[in-house]
Amino acid sequence: MTFAEARPRFVGAPIRRLEDPRLLTGHGSFTDDHAPPRCAHVAFRRADHPHARIVAVDTEGAARAPGVIGVFTAADLAPLVRPLRATSRMKEYHATEILALASDIVRYVGQPVVAVLADSRYMAEDAAELLDIAYEPLPVATSPAEAVAPGAALLHPEAGTNVLLTRAFTRGDIDAAFAAASVTVSGTFRLGRKTPAALENRACLAEWDHARRALTIHAATGIPGVLRDALAECLDLPGTRVRVIAGDVGGSFGGKGSVYPEELAVAALARKLGRPVKWTGDRMEDLTATSQAFDEIVTAELALAADGTMLGLRADVLGDIGAGSIYPWTAALEPVQVVSFLPGPYRIAAYAARVRGVATPKSPTGPYRGVGRPAATFAMERLVDLAAARLGLDPAELRRRNLVTAEEFPYRTGSGLIWDRAGFQESLAAACDAGNYAALREEQAIARGAGRWFGIGLATYAELTGIGSRIAVAPGMPINTGTETSSIRIDATGAVTAAFGIAAHGQGLETALAQVVADALGCRIEDIAILQGDSALVPSSTGTYASRSAVIAGGAGALAAREVRRKLLRAAALLLEVAEADLDATDGIVRVVGTDRSLTFREIARAVYSEMGRIPRDRREDLAASETYDPYLGTAACATHLAVVEVDPETYHITIRAYYVAEDCGRIINPLIVDGQVQGGVAQGIGAALLEDVVYDGAGQILTASFVDYLLPTAAEIPPIGITHLELPPPDNLLGVRGMGEGGTIGAPAAIANAVADALGLAITDLPITPDRLFRLLASGETA
Amino acid sequence: MASRTPGTRRTGIAMKPAPFRYHLATDLPDALSALAEPDAKLLAGGQSLMPMANFRLLRPSVLIDINRVAGLGALAQQPGGIRIGALSRHATIETAALIARAHPILSHAMTHVAHPTIRNRGTIGGSLAHNDPAAEWPMLVLLLDGALTLASRRGARVVAARDFLTGPLATALAQDEMVIAIDLPDSPPGTGWGFAEIARRHGDFALAAVGVTLRAKDGCIADPRIALTGVGDTALRAGAAEAILNGQRPDAVVVAAAIAAIRDVLHPMTDLHASAAYRRHLAGVLAARAIRDAWRRAGGEA
Repeated sequence: MTFAEARPRFVGAPIRRLEDPRLLTGHGSFTDDHAPPRCAHVAFRRADHPHARIVAVDTEGAARAPGVIGVFTAADLAPLVRPLRATSRMKEYHATEILALASDIVRYVGQPVVAVLADSRYMAEDAAELLDIAYEPLPVATSPAEAVAPGAALLHPEAGTNVLLTRAFTRGDIDAAFAAASVTVSGTFRLGRKTPAALENRACLAEWDHARRALTIHAATGIPGVLRDALAECLDLPGTRVRVIAGDVGGSFGGKGSVYPEELAVAALARKLGRPVKWTGDRMEDLTATSQAFDEIVTAELALAADGTMLGLRADVLGDIGAGSIYPWTAALEPVQVVSFLPGPYRIAAYAARVRGVATPKSPTGPYRGVGRPAATFAMERLVDLAAARLGLDPAELRRRNLVTAEEFPYRTGSGLIWDRAGFQESLAAACDAGNYAALREEQAIARGAGRWFGIGLATYAELTGIGSRIAVAPGMPINTGTETSSIRIDATGAVTAAFGIAAHGQGLETALAQVVADALGCRIEDIAILQGDSALVPSSTGTYASRSAVIAGGAGALAAREVRRKLLRAAALLLEVAEADLDATDGIVRVVGTDRSLTFREIARAVYSEMGRIPRDRREDLAASETYDPYLGTAACATHLAVVEVDPETYHITIRAYYVAEDCGRIINPLIVDGQVQGGVAQGIGAALLEDVVYDGAGQILTASFVDYLLPTAAEIPPIGITHLELPPPDNLLGVRGMGEGGTIGAPAAIANAVADALGLAITDLPITPDRLFRLLASGETA
Repeated sequence: MASRTPGTRRTGIAMKPAPFRYHLATDLPDALSALAEPDAKLLAGGQSLMPMANFRLLRPSVLIDINRVAGLGALAQQPGGIRIGALSRHATIETAALIARAHPILSHAMTHVAHPTIRNRGTIGGSLAHNDPAAEWPMLVLLLDGALTLASRRGARVVAARDFLTGPLATALAQDEMVIAIDLPDSPPGTGWGFAEIARRHGDFALAAVGVTLRAKDGCIADPRIALTGVGDTALRAGAAEAILNGQRPDAVVVAAAIAAIRDVLHPMTDLHASAAYRRHLAGVLAARAIRDAWRRAGGEA
């Protein structure tokens, strides 16, 4: 059987995003837009100590304050909601609990301790000020080095250590590789702590329906299915009585990809009080109590032969995971990914690496656009440039000699990842072409002659996207992240509803999925309503994260649409008295090929559902199907970034003069969306490289609790980005697409770091690079 | 400049202001009368006040909205100088022909004040009354030898900028006083200006900023004025450097001496964005650039 998508009309076309008219005209429907009557508003009083015992909580003054509905502590919530615990199959892993409110011990500044419910958020905040919480401060070990030291103050004494996870990877004979090396280069690289800083802060609204004894939760989340499953478990309710709706969601970048204490508290309180309860996080709460990112120290050493062949890679990674595990990803997600992806797209025979995740009294880290790979790519790509300098080779040439080539795929990396065929070499060549690399080097020579600090930086990376059921997205995590389900139906009017479990939060997935379904079904985009972001739509879903939705949900959508199309054509064949093979569907019309006979979807639907007798009773079937897709393996996505920077020799101000990305995301569903994802990702990577840094002081206090101190890149800091899409054979999954939502953030920190290092001849080891750090580096006289 | 809240130990409570009353002032006497109440605060552009109130770092008893007080936002040429109403918006200064003619350094400097949306609301009087150590306006009025007219129910008085700016976030304003106007004397014909600022991002508070005016007379610098911001407790004039430049040709040796004199008197702070050492270094670099630009604009020989 042939499918309409063999001749795509919509996939590949620059369709303007269907979401944008409502979002751009203020007609979006975000969690905070819902204002049910009798709603109680929550203000959380949060820990102002990084590590302390809660000795006493005096709620009396707050309880008597105007407008207060109730004041709740951990003791009040304990009978209402069980703690969450993300377990792991990893050996040497200590799981930690997530409580709705801190009980006994607080472990980071910003952890919710008391919930105050009032008629308005203003009143709730007024009352929260009146709470009197007595703490007994406990010792802190705030830096990873302190926290792993023998005798360090323990954040989770029951684990017996602050090292909550350890994992090692080995492949080949690493000692032999280093013994045979002509050149070794090494370094300790630190990628700072970041925060997602989505436009919309986290928010949730829980409503208890007395009639159905059921909870409906509106939440700013990317994982409504996971949240539904977690709440059903923690509140001891069947899934039929918990529904999580993620309507319009204003960005996540990973920050809305976990289940949070506030969601447990709000759901439990709505059920207890029998009235709507809403919490809308403010920016301070977002900066202190949304999962943070990265914070990795990577010590690595690369061994090469005289001709530049990479022989072996050794690494020791220390990840600062903050106060404990997030749910469901465990504390292993970010640090283990660093080690998994460190060898990158290179052919390296021997690999030996260890990773430790250490608990510190800071906000927990969690998923963030790129997960692990920004730190891995930063470290590896710095080593490549250091090696090129030592070998006297051009950095592009050294990459070319070591990137896995087309004939080597599928390639198994030192950490056991499998790269399917992707354009590693081609991306390097294309980025150098786009930027006119040879001419840039000439321009650099002239600029240097004139005393200018002009640098060129490359970064090539590969990532695994659209990961099927073979491995979990987070190592050792015991839930399936490898499948998605789509349920599609043509109703009695001929209109198409396509429902998915995923939950978009700005990526344009409604548009992309509509393009996929329209092609597979043979209808117009406007015939389709895409439903998503609602746990009630499909039996099970883990949502939108990890560059998976186009691959997995798109695949499910194509499968379900093909099945509906088969049913539609069977019905049309009966109605038109022709063979199914003679029929084709496009634009919502089924035509008899080579004739002028046709039926619209509407006419067929009417015949199927309403005009009884037109189709024999035993041949009649609903125009509906539900399908689940599992790509089993993941697919590699890759790119090379090329950054050109100039550093002012007096002020050390860094200007990005040009930026190029050449990427392989397989078949492109919508070039406008793909370009937007690349641009946004690069902007966040530039933030990581030059601006963004969550800072805690030695006592564990957060110093970056507002946007005055936490600096995001703005339009003024982001250069035009030249994007090249490689046109290569597509990957072997249903749609031939690769996930591409995160890549920009993976390549940019490394490319910028290499460019600045190239401009200054300095060993750039810590990101973000700031003018002040360059000033101090130059003052200390260190050179590469 | 952006709205800044001083570093504070977070209790994690508030992004909504504590309760306050709101008073819409109808005219100046009404505003001054309301301002006599303890803990009253004036609401002009609100670009610093509202974030501080939302963080509950400020707990005003009453906010007196002066946005509808007639005449407070006027710009006027007067004998010997211009008068800028305190309620003038940064965007007005940025674009007004009168300003471009009288003090083009102001038109240019405004492009460094935060972002257009903030410049549309934020006021000159508000910025001066707030006196952030890294804001542009205190430095500019100091540079241009400005004077501020302060009013209260007790009457009006005129205070020179150098006496008005008393410390970080501190001024000579009494609790019941408001800034109503800023007078800037005309610069002599032929005055050249230079302005240089570096911030982490364009529009952020200055890590260091320098303003310079001078004239070229017989191949030498005359009447140099140098002011800095972001590098001390409050904006400051570099008097020693001015004396070094005055009457000299701006050759490398003279400028280097002036820069050394500037760096000598600075006591910058270290914060998350920059170390004191870097700020001191930067102040010198920017001062040299601003002196060079001012000399060029004054028609001095290269």
